Amino acid sequence: MAEQVSSLLRRSAGHLEDEVPDSYHLVLEALGPLVVEVDVDGELFSLRGGRRLEVADGAAAVAGARIATSRTAILDLLDARVGLDEAVQAGTVGVRGSVDDVLRAHDTLLAYVHAAVRAPSQPALLAALRTGAP
Amino acid sequence: MTAVLARSDFLRAPLLATAKPDGFKEWYHFVVHRPGSRILINFSLTSEVSHAGSSRLTPRVIVIAHDQRWTGAIERFDESDLDVSAGLGVLTVGGNQMTVRPDGYRVVIDVPGQDIRGELDLTSVSRPFAVNNQPVGDGRVSWLFVPRLRADGWLRIGRQEMRFEGNVAYHDHNWGRFRWGDDFGWTWGTILPSGPEMPWSLVFQQMTDRRRLRCLYQALWVWRYDEPAAIFPPAAVQTRFRGMLGRAADCTLPPPMRLILDGEASDIPERMEVAATWAGDVLHAEFRPQSYARLAQPSEVRLDRSVVLCETNGTARVSGSINGEGIDFVGAGVFELLYG
Repeated sequence: MAEQVSSLLRRSAGHLEDEVPDSYHLVLEALGPLVVEVDVDGELFSLRGGRRLEVADGAAAVAGARIATSRTAILDLLDARVGLDEAVQAGTVGVRGSVDDVLRAHDTLLAYVHAAVRAPSQPALLAALRTGAP
Repeated sequence: MTAVLARSDFLRAPLLATAKPDGFKEWYHFVVHRPGSRILINFSLTSEVSHAGSSRLTPRVIVIAHDQRWTGAIERFDESDLDVSAGLGVLTVGGNQMTVRPDGYRVVIDVPGQDIRGELDLTSVSRPFAVNNQPVGDGRVSWLFVPRLRADGWLRIGRQEMRFEGNVAYHDHNWGRFRWGDDFGWTWGTILPSGPEMPWSLVFQQMTDRRRLRCLYQALWVWRYDEPAAIFPPAAVQTRFRGMLGRAADCTLPPPMRLILDGEASDIPERMEVAATWAGDVLHAEFRPQSYARLAQPSEVRLDRSVVLCETNGTARVSGSINGEGIDFVGAGVFELLYG
């Protein structure tokens, strides 16, 4: 059985904290007090900051931004088959929230990518994400 | 010529990165042209410092090819996948290997995760040239290039296979200590005629500041058969970059970097002109890019920035006169533009 996306994200964040702590803190700074709820093929979890990045299973009681997508759409983005703007326009990535919160979520995504490309552990996690794709 | 290669193109990392690892980088770069297509192969070693303070050499293999469009991969390996021979002439990275031979290079590519394989024999047909300790930001880089080699072999990316038989190629080897994202940019190019019968080979380099507003160094090297025919120093070279190429990059590598480098706008000029006059020699080269790939490198200066190397292919028209001999040919060019 494929590892859940929430579990992969939890492991990814843990590796970033260990391997690239300065970049990890930039992710926390970008996220600030925002809670992002994520729905990947019906798997519901949320991401929040503070002292550490926390990935919690289930729906968030209060979320500033909500993202609905699929494992396939995430891989299409990470493999550069589509751009983020194209994915949003095509509806394969749905984003809801106030403009400020959506912008904050986007800034957090960019900070996360900057951190992930500096961390040696991330390609293996990407391979694990791939194993669960339909 | 062979003795020069064997003496000069050995791996520096085991000596220099061990003595002082901070900021050390080294890479072997090959460009192979075939009518209608070209490939770039790059073996690199980068000294990286872990959070705990220990340094390691991170090997990477880059293979990109242009047929209808650029495609390929950047594969990062673990230090345990790296091996350097005692003679410093064989670099092994996983299943990939680059061997410096008396008459050139043998390159074996095996990146199974990306379905990329190949074997190439690159035989030097021109004398190498070395440029030492060029400033790059606060650091320095040295490089050695072989303007022309003969390429034989094959490369397969996915279902696409390219075969090479007596095609022209270019090689450079770079090493030094500097930081990606420091205050520098560069434009570098190789122009080779489409066939081996034409004797001329050109190499161009321009070093600038990060914003590409100030030229710090530039030169144009012209080889005739295996010998240097003209070396145009900085004051003898003029460049003019016109317009912007009206198309997006064919690919961005590593692919997740497209999330950061989004957008369709191009930084690539529509036309690049290099004119040089020195000691009675005159040369004009006009390179017209057709498409490009973006290779992204995390900045070592800012955690929220990237350095982008744009690899462009296109045609180049070269005309002029060297030592009284006229030059007029249309060849293939690959230019690399670094944006910090």
